[in-house]
Amino acid sequence: MCGLAHYFESEGLATVLVGFVREQMEAIKPARALFLDFPMGRGMGKPNDPNFQKKVIRAAFDLFNEPNGPVIKNFPEIIPVKNGRMGYALPPELVLNISDIGDLNKLLDEIRVEMDTLRPAYDFAVKSRGRTTVGASELNVSDLAPFIAEFFSGEIPKSPRKGLPAIPLLKLVVEDLEAYYTETRTHRDNIDDLELMGKWFWEETKAGRLLLLLEAVSIASDNKVMLQIVEMSLMAPRFWSEGPLPGTSAAGW
Amino acid sequence: MTKISEMPAVARGFISNLELPVFEEPAWTLPSPSGQRRVSVVTTAAISKRGDKPFSWLARDHRVFHKTDRDLVMTHVAVEFDRSAWQQDLNVIVPLDRLEEMAQAGEIGSVADEHYSFMGAADPVTMEKSAREAAKRMKHEGVDTVFLIPI
Repeated sequence: MCGLAHYFESEGLATVLVGFVREQMEAIKPARALFLDFPMGRGMGKPNDPNFQKKVIRAAFDLFNEPNGPVIKNFPEIIPVKNGRMGYALPPELVLNISDIGDLNKLLDEIRVEMDTLRPAYDFAVKSRGRTTVGASELNVSDLAPFIAEFFSGEIPKSPRKGLPAIPLLKLVVEDLEAYYTETRTHRDNIDDLELMGKWFWEETKAGRLLLLLEAVSIASDNKVMLQIVEMSLMAPRFWSEGPLPGTSAAGW
Repeated sequence: MTKISEMPAVARGFISNLELPVFEEPAWTLPSPSGQRRVSVVTTAAISKRGDKPFSWLARDHRVFHKTDRDLVMTHVAVEFDRSAWQQDLNVIVPLDRLEEMAQAGEIGSVADEHYSFMGAADPVTMEKSAREAAKRMKHEGVDTVFLIPI
């Protein structure tokens, strides 16, 4: 982001950015930067809090009054993060094995029931918000889990979406599945807690279990691309974990 | 403040090993008076209009969305940031409603018609061409101020 700011500024556009990693901002030196001590994914701080969001914007735009730069200032309010991690992370010890798969069709049935149970609340959330973020994969919601299960053979299935290979599509399917659950619960239960949402979806739901089993399948697979998606932490939230997933180096990036 | 050295192991290793771009001469543009500013948002959240081509994992290109677009989806590859916030409120990552309110109150001049989305997982150096194309398009619609927001 700091690099992009430089390009726009050099085109004669006055820029200001906000950012979460102050050491990077200090190193790259964009013209005007406001450091936010917030979890990542929350640039304006708090959803559905217009006053807080405007405070962030005004603090950023105040930097246009600085006569010289580069300039970095801190936003005075902090949104605490847990143990230095700026997003939810799976417990390092929560790792499934392919021997845990059991009856895959039974698990898919349980996920179908789980999703059907959430459906009225999901529909109400969409109606209330006037939008949904589910659908990047362009698969029907009912097809998300079955598509993921196709990878359990250890081989990469044919993509049902023209122009998008199966692995990039898998990433979008995983995100759509999680979004279906978390959009529903944040609205239904009126909660805004990324740690609670992460813990619930990944550690307590059947859909989360399917994804942890996918991780197990990927590690055991002979397919290099399947292994790479866990090396790169592309599916399961282990970026902020205290250690890499056993069997991987977390060095894929 | 969360310092890189205090981050958990995987993140600390990744972030501390990033190669950061170095600009010998930092750019500096004098801003317009606040009430005259026309503001465009640049996000690295890899969001786009539903139906647009998804971002590739190390995409160098960008997508454009209109200030009235709300039916946006995200095709970002990374898992390190919280997605539940923007699911609840687009303004928490792209504050179009807030900027419109500030324009109506005279705190800024106006909100641009077009806003720009990049893939934050990609090396910004590879995005230079795309960023300069976006800048050209911004200037064509009278934008003089860019608000950059990471995900």
